Amino acid sequence: MIKLSGLRLSFGTGFSLAVDSLKIREGEVYAVIGPNGAGKTTLLNAMAMLNAPSAGSLTIMGRDALAPANRLLLRRAMSVVFSQPYLTNDTVFNNVALPLKLRGRADAAAVAQALELFRISHLRDRNAKTLSQGESHRAALARAFVTRPRLLLLDEPFGSLDERVKDAITRDLRRVVKESGAAVVLVTQDQAGALTLCDTLAVLVNGRILQQGEPQEIFSRPACKEVADFVGVETILPGKVISKAENLCAVEAGGHTLMAVSACEAGDSVFFCLRPEDISVSPGPEAGGRRNNFKCKVASVAPWGLEYKVELDCGFTLQAAVTKQLVDGLGLKPGAQVYASFKAVAAHLIKRNL
Amino acid sequence: MEFIFEGFRKAVHIILSGNAEVLSIARLSLTVSLSATALAVLAGVPLGAWIAVKRFPFKKLLIALVNTGMGLPPVVAGLVVMLFLARSGPLGFLNWLYTPKGMIIAQFIIALPIITALSISAMQNVDPKFYNQILALGASERQVVWVCLKEIRLTMVAAVIAGFGRLVAEVGAVMIVGGNIRHQTRMLTTATVMETQMGNFDMAIAIGLLLLAVGFAVNLALTLIQQNKVVAR
Repeated sequence: MIKLSGLRLSFGTGFSLAVDSLKIREGEVYAVIGPNGAGKTTLLNAMAMLNAPSAGSLTIMGRDALAPANRLLLRRAMSVVFSQPYLTNDTVFNNVALPLKLRGRADAAAVAQALELFRISHLRDRNAKTLSQGESHRAALARAFVTRPRLLLLDEPFGSLDERVKDAITRDLRRVVKESGAAVVLVTQDQAGALTLCDTLAVLVNGRILQQGEPQEIFSRPACKEVADFVGVETILPGKVISKAENLCAVEAGGHTLMAVSACEAGDSVFFCLRPEDISVSPGPEAGGRRNNFKCKVASVAPWGLEYKVELDCGFTLQAAVTKQLVDGLGLKPGAQVYASFKAVAAHLIKRNL
Repeated sequence: MEFIFEGFRKAVHIILSGNAEVLSIARLSLTVSLSATALAVLAGVPLGAWIAVKRFPFKKLLIALVNTGMGLPPVVAGLVVMLFLARSGPLGFLNWLYTPKGMIIAQFIIALPIITALSISAMQNVDPKFYNQILALGASERQVVWVCLKEIRLTMVAAVIAGFGRLVAEVGAVMIVGGNIRHQTRMLTTATVMETQMGNFDMAIAIGLLLLAVGFAVNLALTLIQQNKVVAR
């Protein structure tokens, strides 16, 4: 569906986007996540042919998307939804019908179906400027799907919505995407939203795609420190592999020896990475098979979404996610003595270049 | 003070009695200014939109020139049109000097920079992201401009109001090009000047009031069209 190679885009601000290779298959939902200013929108705009790369090639549906002659044809085979709905000062029906009108078509049935898909049929005669944010986003999605696009580009589509509305729209979007079979490119900061929808995930940082692949793989096995940072790996300790037996590496970090299952070799300088949810906190040493057990002191306890994040000082710092029940049950507060444990298989080592 | 009140009283009588000559002057004024405004809209809106969205060398200079044209003195416009339409001028063969057509041309030249400049400004105020969204919906370059113009129609109606307001009150150009000929090219503004100079204050006030009424009626109609599109907040 999309093939992109050696794409380069530079701006006067000094920022540049450089994507060496990216392929998106028919029907694939491809999400690009990354921090603010990483170049996600720039990349999406390039795919939408809204900005002109200085180098590289971009093929969409087998056609050269950088050739001006192909632009209109390709744009009419795809749809783009931006973070703001950008509806016109007209009725919801006319807004959703606009892409058809631009193609010289009038298909009231298709408009009605698109409104139905996103559950806004009852709003068809309302002026779009009077809609709530959630309704506006639904109208923008209905407008995007009315032409039955083969490719859908979504740029932070629900950035400004509250969680409840976002969840409801994301569920509807996932259903419609699966039914339509359209390929989707989603760029977002919202990792949970991306995970809900995507088959393939890419992490874009500072204009470079640092890792792409299966979402679970990226979250549990980040390829570099920048990706680890972004995907929520809270404990990242510089260390060195001091010995290895089969796949089990002993890593010296912060004066302690930590165990991790990894393909790294003895002598490698590494970052020892742990996700907060993989760390158990208990009043005494864990008995059951965990190779990493440390006596530690609670440094801080802070709310973290529905859970709490507990910073543990074990001679090195661990960041653990614990439930409210556990915080109350163990009386976790700064200065409390507890034990932290994690499995060697939960830890991940990233080679670092010195 | 007495002659002012007397002038008003007689003016109201002239208007209410349906003075045929005064009404015909009002009709001509309306026809000339509305025609010139319509022509300026037809030419100025696409021109303004084109200047706003296209990239070309000396664009800023051109916009500065158009903006300067907003303050074009009507007598200068009238003089230039007269020179072109004069019998020995390049367009003398048209025989449009001292005709309503000539006055329409002169007023068109006055209104064109106003409509063009306000169109440029309105189009440049369209959020580039909105513009991109419409392009991304599959619009051609012409279609995206059309959708944007529809979106800024409130501002565009304001531009039309500004253009018409300037023309209906303008006296210099129509005086030079039209010559204020009775039953042919006499406009409300030129007639007001003439009657004042002749000391016919009642007639001057009557025509002046009618001029205000014509201006108000057209602006009321345009404002109703404009406000009808405003979404209640």
